[in-house]
Amino acid sequence: MTAEEICAKVGGTVAVAVEGASAETVYVGDLLSDIMGHAGEECALVTIQNHLNTIAVCTLVGCSVVVICHSRPVPPDMAEGAKREGVAIVVTPMSQYEAALALSSLPPSGR
Amino acid sequence: MGEYNPTILQGQHTNDDEILAKTPLDPKALGGDSSVIIMELLQRFKVRDVMKRQVISISRTATLREAQAIMRENRISGLPVSENGRLYGLVSVNDIINGLDGGWMSDACEDHMATNLVVLEAGMPLAFALRYFNNYTYGRFPVLDSNRQLVGIISQRDVMRALLYELSVEIRKLERKTRGGHEQEDQSKEHYFRREWAVVRNDLSRAGHAANDIKGLLRERKIDRTVVRRVAVAAYELEINICIHSHGGVMVLLITDETVTITAKDRGPGIPDIEWACRDGTSTANDWIRSLGFGAGMGLSNSKRVSDEFDIQSEVGKFTKVQCVFRIPKTGN
Amino acid sequence: MAGDGTSPRAVGAVVANDLMSDVLLHDADDILLLTSLASDQAIRTAHIVGAMGVVVHNAKPLSETMIKVANDLGIPLVSSPLSKYDACVRLHDAFLAEERA
Repeated sequence: MTAEEICAKVGGTVAVAVEGASAETVYVGDLLSDIMGHAGEECALVTIQNHLNTIAVCTLVGCSVVVICHSRPVPPDMAEGAKREGVAIVVTPMSQYEAALALSSLPPSGR
Repeated sequence: MGEYNPTILQGQHTNDDEILAKTPLDPKALGGDSSVIIMELLQRFKVRDVMKRQVISISRTATLREAQAIMRENRISGLPVSENGRLYGLVSVNDIINGLDGGWMSDACEDHMATNLVVLEAGMPLAFALRYFNNYTYGRFPVLDSNRQLVGIISQRDVMRALLYELSVEIRKLERKTRGGHEQEDQSKEHYFRREWAVVRNDLSRAGHAANDIKGLLRERKIDRTVVRRVAVAAYELEINICIHSHGGVMVLLITDETVTITAKDRGPGIPDIEWACRDGTSTANDWIRSLGFGAGMGLSNSKRVSDEFDIQSEVGKFTKVQCVFRIPKTGN
Repeated sequence: MAGDGTSPRAVGAVVANDLMSDVLLHDADDILLLTSLASDQAIRTAHIVGAMGVVVHNAKPLSETMIKVANDLGIPLVSSPLSKYDACVRLHDAFLAEERA
């Protein structure tokens, strides 16, 4: 599923667009150490952690789409980092639970 | 062996002041009320209150080998030698060792027992007994009554255990008295309830405990559910702030007929830009704090949002004080 | 599963969040909190918002103190091997099935 399709499903807006960014699975989490331990490659990360560290973790895990919930604003350094590392950011007003349900056609991320 | 006349030393009676002066516990070090309680307990309790009354002993003519067996079975290191309540001596582990070494384990206890014994009188105050534990290396002392009959045996552990138990009982009594006292006093002026909690910096295992207590207290008083929820949220946020951002402080809960007030006061480091701190999403939390799930920067703005009145004061290097007031809706009483 | 064993409350809302300060923002009653945060904080925050239960994901080991706090505060605590995402989807399916029944 491409970032644009994900964006449509969660009724959000694309804050950082990256060509070809897509995801095959979904991981919901806010604790960076937890994400690193359990999120798989090619996943869409659903979180409220709207800061630069999230992008760092995405590169380590191999995820290229981040869905920020509760319409949390994306700080400029996070947006720049995302562009640099090729991670698309989608911002949605939904909660993590709602976003999870919206994307439920995708399988869970396994590790 | 000739005439039987073992020397038994007894504690000399001296007046109370001397006892206190020589007591190993330093009352000044304890400070305040606790020292008074301890001194009182040490005076009030006598050796007879704390000693073991079932004394395991052995007769004079029994052998050292029998003494060894008894000591091993009962796991004691000192065995009084007594008959019909009269104390004649004491067999210690040392005597057994010497006996094994010298090969006289079949000898009678009376041939090898210690006879220069220090004993305590049953009516002696514990303060006194402690002094003897300090001055002598013996693990335990036989206890005689005023008729010089062996009535018990006392070890330092017995004393400590009894003291600790009594101390905790006394402290609980005191707590109940002061708490009740406060409420009495306050009720005479206005109807209000006040309680404080200490918050220790970086003590994340306890972080939030005051807020949990506050919520419990408000629910007990059947205060409106939505108000309880708002107070709990503000209290929690402010408590976590003290915990992760400050050098430590207190949470204070004040309940009157009309309002609930939460005050969070810490000892520093203070907030340089209060307006910035109160904004959504701004935080000085480091990565470690964030990894634990805190530091999202919502604390002050959350507290402000849920309270009816919000006040914050701070001085860099000195303190920060945040106060949230919640109005209790009038119920038809 | 820890808790005070009183009659279970129905789930009013589901919150899947690891940032406790964010959890405090939810006004709903009887929240079921899904989280990866296996700490006392999850329980304490749950208590503050009057949550009806806490689920910890990814089979994370629950510390003794966490279980004790859950018992003391009367909050049912469940450990799940599922990921949060998986649980969200399955719970939702279960709720729908319940409604239809």
